[in-house]
Amino acid sequence: MTATAGGVAANPLRKGLAANRISDPCNVVFFGATGDLMKRMLMPAMYNLRLEDMLPSNYGIVGFSRSDDDDEKFRGEMKKSVDQFSRSGPATEPLWSDFAKRLSYVSGDFDDTNCFIKLREHLEKNDRELGTGGNRLFYLSTPPSVFAKIIDQLDKGGLGPRDNAAGWTRIIIEKPFGTDLDSARALQAEVSKVFDEKSVYRIDHYLGKEPVQDIMALRFANVIFEPLWNRRYVDSVQITAAETVGVELRGGYYDNAGALRDMIQNHVLNLLALVSMEPPAAADADSIRDEKYKVLRAIRPIERGRVTLDSARGQYDAGSNAGKPVPGYREEPDVRADSNTETFAAVKFLIDNWRWADVPFYVRSGKRLAHKTSEIAIRFRPIPHRLFGDAGDALDNNVLVMKIQPEEGISLRFNAKVPGPKMHIRSVSMDFNYGTGFGVVSAPAYERLIGDAMRGDATLFTRWDAVETAWQIVMPILDKWQNTEDESFPNYSAGSQGPPSSDRMLAMDGREWRKI
Amino acid sequence: MSLESSTVGTSLDAIRAELARAKLAASTFNFIVWIDDPARRDWIRERAGMLSEKHPSFTLIFDNTGVREGDATVTTSAHEAHASFTVRGERVEIDVSGLDAATIANYVTGLCTSSVETVLWWSGFKETSRATFFALLPHIDTLVVDSSGGLRDESALRALSEFHTEHLEVALRDLAWMRLRPWRDMIANFFDDEALLGELFTIRSLHIASGSDSEALYLGAWLASRLEWKASGRDAFTDREGKPVAFKRRREGEIRRVQSICLDSETSWYHGEVTEDSGVVKIWVEGEHASEPRLFPLKAIDNASLLERAVLESGPDELFETALRAAATLLG
Repeated sequence: MTATAGGVAANPLRKGLAANRISDPCNVVFFGATGDLMKRMLMPAMYNLRLEDMLPSNYGIVGFSRSDDDDEKFRGEMKKSVDQFSRSGPATEPLWSDFAKRLSYVSGDFDDTNCFIKLREHLEKNDRELGTGGNRLFYLSTPPSVFAKIIDQLDKGGLGPRDNAAGWTRIIIEKPFGTDLDSARALQAEVSKVFDEKSVYRIDHYLGKEPVQDIMALRFANVIFEPLWNRRYVDSVQITAAETVGVELRGGYYDNAGALRDMIQNHVLNLLALVSMEPPAAADADSIRDEKYKVLRAIRPIERGRVTLDSARGQYDAGSNAGKPVPGYREEPDVRADSNTETFAAVKFLIDNWRWADVPFYVRSGKRLAHKTSEIAIRFRPIPHRLFGDAGDALDNNVLVMKIQPEEGISLRFNAKVPGPKMHIRSVSMDFNYGTGFGVVSAPAYERLIGDAMRGDATLFTRWDAVETAWQIVMPILDKWQNTEDESFPNYSAGSQGPPSSDRMLAMDGREWRKI
Repeated sequence: MSLESSTVGTSLDAIRAELARAKLAASTFNFIVWIDDPARRDWIRERAGMLSEKHPSFTLIFDNTGVREGDATVTTSAHEAHASFTVRGERVEIDVSGLDAATIANYVTGLCTSSVETVLWWSGFKETSRATFFALLPHIDTLVVDSSGGLRDESALRALSEFHTEHLEVALRDLAWMRLRPWRDMIANFFDDEALLGELFTIRSLHIASGSDSEALYLGAWLASRLEWKASGRDAFTDREGKPVAFKRRREGEIRRVQSICLDSETSWYHGEVTEDSGVVKIWVEGEHASEPRLFPLKAIDNASLLERAVLESGPDELFETALRAAATLLG
């Protein structure tokens, strides 16, 4: 018999097969189990994990919500959601019936401790009947306003880690983690009363996207990029997360959030950290998260007096999307008619460390923009000497673009001679697309992230120190924007490149945004 | 995606001229395919085509079936990106019936890109193809075969093990072995529970039903190599403590498919059996460690997926090679 490093006997038949890809037996409990996220993303993700045989032999999936459903009704609803939203198509027999046997539902009120005691008894029954071994993963897919309440009730209901000697207890918390620095700290105080940091998985589904993980592979699995990845060769970095959609049915939430909270504080700063961090010593969760935290700490705080110079905000007006007229933000359902909430945010960050001193990182995110695109563009410095005279006057800087969505790939722009007798130089692009290059379709982020949490791999989840630092970074801007009305709102048309103030921010540095 | 084909003569110059009309945007490998069985020609061409259209590659199909008429077809597959066409793949099919081995090898050196890996999918079975096979061998990095592609008996596996002994420099892939991955995963799954791990070392007999011999031999050989069993004769092992382990295999069901497996330990019987849905296996345990039946999905067993995996995984597969050597010992 062989042994692993951890001293646990290893299965010799596992060699060459996906090692440790399957978690311990466990129950996964979804709070907010009748919500939209559950139907569109979470349940299809669980079913596809089953199809990929990434679930353990013994597992239970428990939905917890206020609705007065029962097991059968819940199974029926979940089948509908899989049929409609699963990437693998509608559920098929006999696998669905086998999967559905593991689904169950507990109806309960988040204010009622007895409901959590009932949930505990249900999980204990699953442990006995399904062999789930006392291991529990709780997933908070509820509105953020009840996160703290649920965590408190888990503790009161005997469902916290301290009361579970039989197995492990973990919790996945959906974003946003707080609405500002103070509320994030208050939430963390509640979380840390019940869960230690190693048991908390703060989800940012952006990090589960394949191309985001590819950023590390590009940087640290190649020798040709890293020597250029510094202030000596990089002129500037642009990070864009642009959407064509408006607030859809999330007007009520979004009007209290805005683009800075919804995207910049989490998704965009995570991308910035991945692209700018130092090489980690190892590929484990803490080594990577240590480096991300270090670089976030090195971001220069934006002084209050510079907020208007180093940031820009916008709000979309009526315009068009794919040729169809769309309303302005203030006409969207559940949005205040005089709303001061930004649907576009752009910020210039500087990183005060040896590698990145004086290299601006321009980030932007917005709704109802010209195209849906998420990308990181590294713009390199101009060549030091123009060898080709007039022919080289129009030489473009080299640009390396990491495309995250909708296309997933890498594009490198460089200059080449146009064939012919004259020395005419033109900018060309060398593209790599992950889908066509490897012929595989990336699994949705939620599949990857739930699977990782079940296995106890926190690499792609955000640690509290990084969340707190990210809030510290955006707070000066948030304070300013909350306390001053932008009289230019709405200041960009739906379907455009964003507000003019954003262009001016870069123009002041002699630069311009990449076209969305 | 768009495809453009043209037919030219089989001379190297004619093919080169046609290829020069559109250059590859990127090539990740050269893919050479040999066909000499008219009955499987269309099936192999279709799968090779699927792979070459999916991955940026240069595909060279040598057709020795005599179905073509002394010509070559050059096909480029492209997809539209940013309003311009980017060529993604090139495929050349050549009628090589009547050509000698050196001439055929010349196509490889003359047409393939030298800076990327070269994979040969060999589906030949004619004795007359042997010379070509050995002429191509110096130019390839990876050889892909299917030891149960068209044969139910063990002859192809025997030939493969002999080849491997003499040509360790070539990374070898057998689709018959790769097809077993979900079965290996399923068997491993029985013993992932630490409490059952000891059971692995008390197995007394192994029963496998499969449509062709390669699958049963590979599974038996894999278990033997992982559990330190030694072949003690044809279809018989002794475990690491010298106790006998019976190996009973029977031919049943579709070619290239495992039908059922049972491992008998000193206390329990571990079963896996294909259900009415050929993509799902029912697994259960009887005896001391009895468990309720559950369903296990068999994934990615279609040949196009296997072929893709064979091409994308580079370098030697140590686990497979060990199993192949163990299978050779079993065959005696």
